[in-house]
Amino acid sequence: MMHRFVLAVLVVGLSILPCVQAHAADKELFVYNWSEYMPDSVLEDFEAETGIKVIMSTYDSNEALYAKIKMVDGAGYDLIVPSTDFVSKMSKDGLLQPLDKSKLSNFSQLDPHILNQAFDPDNTYSVPYMWGSTGIAVNTANPAAATVTSFEDLWKPEFKGKLLLPNDMRGVLAIGLKRLGYSLNETDPAKVREACALLQELVPSVRVFDSDSPKQALLNNEVVAAVLWNGEAYIASTENEAIRYIYPREGFSLWVDNLCIPKNALNVDNAHQFINYLLRPDVAAFICQGMGYSSPNDGAQAVLPEEVRSNPIVYPTDADIERGEFETDLGPAIKTYEECWMRLKTGQ
Amino acid sequence: MKTNGFFKQAVIIGSIAWMALFAFIPNILVGLASFCSTSAQNFIEPVWGFHNYGQLMDQAHLDILLSSLRLSGLVTLICLVVAYPFAAILARTRKDKRNTLLLLVIIPFWTNSLVRTYAMTAMLNSSGIVNNLLIFLGIISEPLAMMYTPGAVVLGLVYTLLPFMILPLYAALERLDRRYLEAARDLGASPWKAFWRVVVPLTMPGIVSGCMLVFLPGIGMFYVSDVLGGARAMLLGNFIRDQFLSTRNWPLGAAASVTLTALMGIMLLLYWHSTRRLGQDSAL
Repeated sequence: MMHRFVLAVLVVGLSILPCVQAHAADKELFVYNWSEYMPDSVLEDFEAETGIKVIMSTYDSNEALYAKIKMVDGAGYDLIVPSTDFVSKMSKDGLLQPLDKSKLSNFSQLDPHILNQAFDPDNTYSVPYMWGSTGIAVNTANPAAATVTSFEDLWKPEFKGKLLLPNDMRGVLAIGLKRLGYSLNETDPAKVREACALLQELVPSVRVFDSDSPKQALLNNEVVAAVLWNGEAYIASTENEAIRYIYPREGFSLWVDNLCIPKNALNVDNAHQFINYLLRPDVAAFICQGMGYSSPNDGAQAVLPEEVRSNPIVYPTDADIERGEFETDLGPAIKTYEECWMRLKTGQ
Repeated sequence: MKTNGFFKQAVIIGSIAWMALFAFIPNILVGLASFCSTSAQNFIEPVWGFHNYGQLMDQAHLDILLSSLRLSGLVTLICLVVAYPFAAILARTRKDKRNTLLLLVIIPFWTNSLVRTYAMTAMLNSSGIVNNLLIFLGIISEPLAMMYTPGAVVLGLVYTLLPFMILPLYAALERLDRRYLEAARDLGASPWKAFWRVVVPLTMPGIVSGCMLVFLPGIGMFYVSDVLGGARAMLLGNFIRDQFLSTRNWPLGAAASVTLTALMGIMLLLYWHSTRRLGQDSAL
């Protein structure tokens, strides 16, 4: 009986072993990134140059990233790309490790304006990768859509059944809060409920909630107005000239996504090497051009083609940036947001 | 002979260990988590109670459950109506042709169902294949709005789940002894009466298992509603995923999954009960 038991243990053990060993090889790098946020050729070029194979998995929300990293206690991935407030949340939770700046010779390329922010003073744990906004993309072939300048315009009856919103609680609540002139980080439950009541009037107009690839519904003419990330709008506008991107009058959400190394990453050296590669001006410029988000890299801006650098979708004017606001951690106030989100989705 | 016995033992122990490790233990953990509380620092805190189940009892949650059950019920009904004649024809065709037809039913399984769901968007959207064809034929002048409608969700689910209905029905109909039908006709039953009183009762085990195989996965396949329905409806599957990934309320998500599992368990029990009764009936 004993030897059978030993065999069973061996069978189970052997089936787990390959997973464990996969992490021990030293020419690998496990990246966990937003979907559609880094061209595949960047990974191939990096491998050709350094021999390090990049294995990339993707997520579609900071919440999903946080849940996963927290669950595995910062192990399993070597590089992640959380947004602003999640950098501070994860560093407070001890899920990130300090970066070794001596290995990042290209760090000096970064725009000093975007460094040393409140969510990570001195950039101890993070290096900005790209930044952008959540605004409104419209198809100007539709007369009503061509006149949109604010979130408020989306409530017009002409948009009934022709609207796309993000499939994301914070992203949708921000629309209602901004329309009322509140912060998108509002923690007063009464104000959040007020925004929610307004959004309940907007929901019947919504055709789709999508945060994965919202440009598709716009390009397929399923919707004529969409609240989405500027990079999505940029790509859509290169495929259909009638598509414009609007920085809403009332204000909008700005975000910076940052390269961070989780606490228990195995390939720390490779991760630094990859960060430094991404900071190289030619690489950063290539990514910026391909994805349509703004690069915080001064060197990259210098080598970008004029039509990208002067494109207001990729680089908003200072006057537009003024109205932007970063998301911060809501604390316990998030309960009111969740209640509202549930009500919007169940149509109560 | 001895090695053979050894091999058999190893396989049995191996599969029991597999089930214990990857099915039984995770389910127990989910069950335990459903009685815990949330905490900001960790995902769960061992403060025990039934509060998560109490929270599930409010109107919004019940609506989510009801709309999931209603959608899945409708899909099951459509699958049954479509699959029954199909399976009946399949059971009557010549054996060589029948195998080809069966193969055609099974081939879509070789592609992941999520990929097939995305493929349907290429068929249904405003500038998609169906609309372009209808405009080309001059049947319509403006594209029909088919994507992101409840109809698209039902269509997607029926398409994905139809084989699960066809196969058990086919198995039941193929076993059906045609002499019962002849006897019914000889005794004066109309074709309709013979169908209702003879064919349907005799194929009832196939009908019930087909319905279970469609209804149960239908409750959980939320991605079809997300991709084809525009994520406007919150179904039980979305709700559970959101609790784990977005709102980090693991205990509530766990309670919802336990409830879903219990619901499925009860239905399987009813099924088992009904087949036993049906078995006795046909023995009489």
